Formats: sequence, C-alpha cells, structure tokens
Amino acid sequence: MWKRLLLIRGAELLMFAVLLALPLAVQNNYLLGLLTLLSIYGILLIGLDVTVGYLGQVNLAQAAFLGIGAYTAGLFVTKLGAGFLVSALAATAVATALGALLALPALRLEGPQFALATLSFTALNVTVLNEMEWLTGGAQGLSLSRPPLFGMSLSARGFYWLCMALFALVWLAMRNLLASQWGRAFEALRDSPIATDAMGVGTYRHKVAGFALGSALGGLAGALYAFNFQYLQPQAFVYELTVILLLGVVLGGRKSLWGAFVGATLVALLPNLLSNRTLFEFMSGAGFLFALFAAIRGLLRKTMRPFQAIAPVVATGVLVVGGLLVSNTEDWRKAIFALMLFSVVVGLPEGLMGFAAKFLSRLFRIPDPPPPAPSQLDGVLPPRRAMSGGPLLEIRDLKRHFGGVRALDGLSTTVREGHIHGLIGPNGSGKSTLVNVVSGLYTPSAGEVLLRGQPLPRGSLFETARTGVARTFQNLQLFTGMTALENIMVAMRGNYRRSRNLPLVLLGLGRTEEKQAQADALALLEFVGLGADWRTPAKDLTYGAQRFLEIARAVACKPAVLILDEPAAGLSHPDMRRQMEIIGRVHERGMTILLIEHHMDVVSELCNVVTVLDGGKVIAEGTPGEVKRHPKVIEAYLGEVEAGEAAAETPAPVPAT
Amino acid sequence: MTLSIIAQMTVSGSLMGLVYALIAYGFQLTYATSKSVNFGQGELVMVSAFVSLTLITLGLPYWLVVLGGLFFGALLGLFVERAGVRLALEQRSEGWILLTIILGLLFFSVAENVWGRDDRPFPTPISQQPIHILAVDVTPVELSVAVGVFAIMGAIEIFKRQTLLGKAFDAVSADRDAGELMGISATQTVKLSYALSGVVAAVAGILVSPITTVGPTMASALVLKAFSVAVVAGLESGFGVVVVGMFLGALESIASFYLGSGWREAPGLILLILALAVRPTGVFGKTLIRKV
Repeated sequence: MWKRLLLIRGAELLMFAVLLALPLAVQNNYLLGLLTLLSIYGILLIGLDVTVGYLGQVNLAQAAFLGIGAYTAGLFVTKLGAGFLVSALAATAVATALGALLALPALRLEGPQFALATLSFTALNVTVLNEMEWLTGGAQGLSLSRPPLFGMSLSARGFYWLCMALFALVWLAMRNLLASQWGRAFEALRDSPIATDAMGVGTYRHKVAGFALGSALGGLAGALYAFNFQYLQPQAFVYELTVILLLGVVLGGRKSLWGAFVGATLVALLPNLLSNRTLFEFMSGAGFLFALFAAIRGLLRKTMRPFQAIAPVVATGVLVVGGLLVSNTEDWRKAIFALMLFSVVVGLPEGLMGFAAKFLSRLFRIPDPPPPAPSQLDGVLPPRRAMSGGPLLEIRDLKRHFGGVRALDGLSTTVREGHIHGLIGPNGSGKSTLVNVVSGLYTPSAGEVLLRGQPLPRGSLFETARTGVARTFQNLQLFTGMTALENIMVAMRGNYRRSRNLPLVLLGLGRTEEKQAQADALALLEFVGLGADWRTPAKDLTYGAQRFLEIARAVACKPAVLILDEPAAGLSHPDMRRQMEIIGRVHERGMTILLIEHHMDVVSELCNVVTVLDGGKVIAEGTPGEVKRHPKVIEAYLGEVEAGEAAAETPAPVPAT
Repeated sequence: MTLSIIAQMTVSGSLMGLVYALIAYGFQLTYATSKSVNFGQGELVMVSAFVSLTLITLGLPYWLVVLGGLFFGALLGLFVERAGVRLALEQRSEGWILLTIILGLLFFSVAENVWGRDDRPFPTPISQQPIHILAVDVTPVELSVAVGVFAIMGAIEIFKRQTLLGKAFDAVSADRDAGELMGISATQTVKLSYALSGVVAAVAGILVSPITTVGPTMASALVLKAFSVAVVAGLESGFGVVVVGMFLGALESIASFYLGSGWREAPGLILLILALAVRPTGVFGKTLIRKV
C-alpha cells in the first residue's frame, strides 16, 4: 500500500521539483523558453485528453480553444489594460462558455460527425480571427506585452515558475477529478452511453461538462501562450496545430496525466527535432529499431496482427530512409508528423506511457492496491420492509408504433409492490418494446406509465432512472473497460452528495465518500458472488459473471422497480440456477421486480404474477399455474389448438385485461 | 441590376456547389458500407488533380488523362482503405478517423514537395468563353462540372441498382452481418466503396481544377464545405447532397459578394453547426432507432 503510494506520488513530486529547480541550476534562456512551452502544452494536452482519452471522441477543436484563449487574453491586455489574473480568468471563462456552446449541439453526435463538427469549428475560428480586423488585427497579428501580476512585472523566469505552478495545479485537480465519480462517468459513457443513462448518471451532461472543462484548460493555456509569445496570428491556430496536439496526446498515451506530459514534451521539442539533423536521424533510427523489435516479438508470440506489426516498421523505415535522402527535413514536416503518428496509432495504440506504465509496474513490482473492507449488506441493501402489495407501476393503454408496425397496441397492466412480475410472450410479442418504453429508451406513441401514481418521464432513460426505475439489458451493456467494482460504483449515485459539486471534487474533498462507495460496492459484489473479481475488467469476466454483475449494478441504483430483460438468456444451466437464486435474494430484500423471460421454468419458479403478451397486447394474466393452462397462451406458443380440446382441460381462464 | 447579380451569383455558386455535393457523395459511399469516411478526401481530390496535370504535360489526349486520373484516384482510395481503415474496422474502433487524417497529411506533404507549393493552371479542351443564357453568364467549363457530376453520380447509382455487385454493395450497407451470412465479403465491399470514393474524388479534382487552378491547398476549403454538405444533408441521401450542395454554393457566393471574400467559408460552417443543433442526423437523414 505505502510502497505503491510512495512510488507513484514520489515520481510526480520529483518531476515537478526537478522542473521547478532546473532554471536555478542552468542559466539558459533557450532552455527556459522550452520549459515554459512544455508547461503550457501540458495544460493544453491534459484538456484535450479529457475528450480524446476519457470521452473517447476525436476532438479537432482544441487548437481553436487555444486561439480563443490567447486572443481573449491578448485583447483584455491591449484594449482594456487588464492584469495577468483578470485576463487569464477571462480567457478561461470565454473558452469554457464557447466550449459548452459548441458541445451542446455537437455532442449529440457520435464519432465522425463530432469530429467534423469540431473540425468546422476550428476553421470557423480562423476565419473569424482573420476577418474581424477591427478587433483582432486580422492577418497582421496582435502584439501585446506580458501584463503584470498583482502590479509586479514578471521576468522570464518568474513567468516560467508561474506556468509550471499552474501546470502542477491543473495536474492535481485533474487527478482528483478523474479518480472521482466524474472520471468514472466519463469512462462509463464511452463504453456504453445507454447504460450510463439507464443508471441515472446522465451521458449528455457529463459529455458537455467534460468538453467544456477541456476547452477551459485550452483557454487557460491560450492565455499563457499569449503572454509567452506576446504576438498572435490567426494562422497559428489552424488545423495543422490540432493534428500536432492529437499527436502529442496519442503518442504520450491517452487517459494519462503522464501521457499528456510526455506528449507536451514532444510537441515542444518537435521544431528542434526537425531542424537538428543528427537528432532527427537518431530519433527515427531508434523508432525504427523499436518498431522492428516490437514487430518481431509480436509476430512470434502472435499477440499482434500482421498489419499492426509490419505497418509501423514500414512507416519508420520510410522515415529513416527519407531522412537520408531529403535535403531539408523542414519541408517534409507534415509527412514526418504523419509517419510518426501513423506508427504510434497503429503499433502502440496505448501510447508511450501506456506501454511504460506496464513496464515500470513490473520493474518496481508495484503491488496491486488491497481490496477495501466491504460494508454490511444491511446498510447497502436494507432487508425487506413491510410491503403493501399495492399498485406500484401502472401501465395504461400503452402504444408504440414503428411506422406501420404496432409493437405495443394498447397495453395495460399493473405491477404490485413486492412482487416479481413476469412478462412472457413469443418472439415479436412486444416484450422488449415494453421494457424500452417503460425505461424511457423509446417515447410511447400513446398511453402512460405511472410509478406510485406519478407519471414517469417520457422518452428519457436518464430521467426515468432518476425517478426510480433501473434495468438490465438483454444484450449486455456493461462498462467493459472498467473493473467490476467500478461498474457498480458508477451506479451508486446516492453515495455521492458532495461529489456533485465540481469545485469540491477538483480540490480533492470527495475522498471519504469515495471510500464509503467502494466499501458499499464491494458488499454488492459479494452479494452476487463476485467479491473475488472486484479488480477484473468487466470484459474479462465470464459471460455468466457479466450477467450477475449487470444485476448488481442495477440494484446499486436502489430503484423502486427493477426491470430484468431476459437475465437468463444464453446462460448455462448451473449459471441459470445461480442467476435465479440471485434474483430470489434480491427479491427477499424487498425489491419489486419486472422480469422478462423466455424460460417458462424460471418464470414459474420465481414469479407471483405473470402477464402474457402477444401482438403487442395482453392476452392473459394470472399466477404462473393459471397462465400456463390458458388456451390463448397455448395457442400463442404452440399454434392453433382445437377449441374444444383446450376448453375441456382448463379451468375457467383468467380474463385478459 | 441587383437582381441580375443575385441571379448570376446563384447560378455560378450552385454550379460550384455541385462539386461539394460530389465530394460529399464520396463520403456517403464509404459511410454506407463501413460507417467510416475518409477525412483526407480533400487530399485525394488534390493528388488526383496533380496526377492528371502531369499526364497532360506529358502530352496525353484529354480522355486518356481523365481515365488515368480516375484510375489513380481508385488506387489512392484502396490505399487509404488498406492503411487507414481496415484495421480499425476489424477492431471495431474509431481509429480510422485519426488514421485517415494522418494519411491526408502525408499526401499533402508529398504533393507539396513533388509538385511544389504554387498554384498552377489546369489546361482543358473545354472553352472558358462565357455564354449568355437568360441574363446570366455561364462558361462551358462550369457547365461541364454539372454534366460530370451528374454523369458519375448517375453511373454509380445505376451500378448500385442494376448489377449484382451493386446489390451486394446495398446489402452490406443495409446490414453488414446479414450480408456476410449471405456469402458477400464485407471487406471486399468496403474496398470497392473506397475505390469508388477515390474515383469520385478524382472526378471532382479534374472537374474543378480548370476553375480553381491546381495547388496543394486547392481542396482544403472544398472538402470542408463538402463535410458541411454531408452532415447537413445526412450521410444517406444522394439526392440530399445535391440539393444542399447547390444551396450552400449559392449562399456562399452571395455572402462573399456582400460581406467580402474572406467570409466565404462562414455560411457553410454556420449552417453545419445550426443543422447539428436542430437535426443531428441531417435534413435528409433517417432518424435512428436505438436498439439494445
């Protein structure tokens, strides 16, 4: 425990101490300039990593936010005569606001459309900076002088220390944020936006917040950039810079503060790398040998696809040969970036730090963190309360049409408190549509759903989850890249009162809640028998364990109604028994459950009441025994039955609603 | 007077807009089969134009130049698919966004070093002399853009509808997995779509070069507007990109006349961000039903 903390925190402390002390030891203006740039790019890349690494979106707008921040600060200084603090704050604020404004429409998009929108924003930004000559000076550029801080003018060294101190602060704040519920929400929504909404965490708001935060850091970096160069031109903030920044994040390693640091070093050093021939040849040669070594190893051990192994070797090989042939490397700048980036993206998708982290943790034998002590289950999932058995979830005349298909055609039923209410029906009878409408994924065409007499929100998974409906998914929607424990912690919204307040989180004041949430989540994991797997990434769990984990995660939301969508689908027989036992125990703890199932035996054993659907309508409802003998049910499942035959065997059927 | 200026601007702008539409159509082709687009499509347009120019200076007849340019475009498209897209698709990641950007950067750098940074004229056998039709001046070169755009889009649409290979293309677009189960290779279909998209880019390059001249940056503005057109129209409708492309072309030509040429790019970008705010799947796009 202590060794781990000491090594990781120690490395951080050592790095910042060395960086801060370096200008005292070496009096060199050139080095000072480089170090200043390093801290500025560091802030910028940490911001970019929020969208690229954590939200998993290709963000091509970070250069624009750097420009917006730089120009805002520059204009505050030149036009208003503002000081350091005011102009830097203004730059951050303007970038945050514009970031949120862009994020609101753009983040409704996925993948390529988002990249296109941010790319267009960068282009628009350059156009505006160029054309609003009366304000920005257009292509002529904008000159400013570094403003004083609290009335004191800053020397180059003083300015450097300030930048580095800000970088360290940003580093600390981001570390606190990413280790909190916010960081987990960012990762969760990347893996499964639908499940993030269904846990009541809110995909959209976290995306917008994340993007705005990244933009804010871009704005802050922009202000420092303006004070550093003291001259701004629109051409500095074009598409090409965006690509270089992406290179920095990807090469350094996504989702890593150290990665952003390594990337920033690279971006700051790039111009030198290109102008210094020997350095370039050395670096490209080293890259080639590294790629070659990795390729041979990867191919022999069969851990890499042939393309993934060979393409980086070819790309770095071209770099080496090209470096010998070409007379001026500066002319080929873009091709060199491209080849470097290509090799990294293909061959080392986790970046240098992703690679180094594994290597170093093996080298220093950094121990795994110990498991937290689990809470008492009674505290997390209180035992059975007195159940009224009154109506809890009422579905009234619900309709949902897809074009001409009436998936739900006027369906009504009532789920009573404390029941396990089964929902069965042949394929295409409307079970899944019903679940999707009730849980808010689909908007109903007509009708309503009431929870404790109050109408549920329509067509919003997130709002519905917040009102007290949790669900699992027929096709698993786990947060695959996160551990079993983290999967559950995402859903434990109730545990985080203070952590909703972003400034408190940035200051690192959410730790006690975090500990409590860990302990509670572990109790739930043990409840479904996965206590030993708490550190296993969800994608590496067995299929059965993934199903159990989904139930535990939904229970962690502490819902009024728990909807299980075919929880036994695809399970082996022993796993199915275990799953039924888990559902039974969840029910014993007082949970009302709506269970969609195919397996008749599961339904018969568990359910108090069963509703049978066919053609989007309820055809029968009653106890499992009653429903099994209902002629309409037999007809729906087995096809046409002779009317007289069925009637002779069955007692008076329960009328359909 | 002003009316005739507006008419003139509308006509020449919307003819230019057809080029945006054509490039956007290239995005649609690959998006249909693989849900991916080539972010370096502009560089394909530019490199194909440069290759065609080289063929012209070698003294080849125009039709051979066109053929050579298209062939080269297809090759580039295949290269992008192999180097930038296939791995990411196999891993079901969005790595292709970054990789196609990177390849575009590489093409750009190669072009500016091989052919130089200056803009060069692109000789064409088609006349540049304006003809006067209903108070509007149009050059045959501009008209050739319209003819070329509709010809290639028409040809590809007929190919998709009338041939077995085209049906396979449509099948993979509709449902990749089901297509594979019917014995259609999705990988081959994606390759085909990238080759076609390269051809479309080359056509765009050859058509637009006589008007814009040929240079490394010739396509960076074009492709940005094509992106806007593709997103605004949606990534499914070929008809949509033509309508939106012509509309945008006319709009920006009027905007640049009244606001100054520096603002030329602005309408497209603003239109894009507005469209995203109002209708993220595009004006002509289908609303997606999320399935779980």
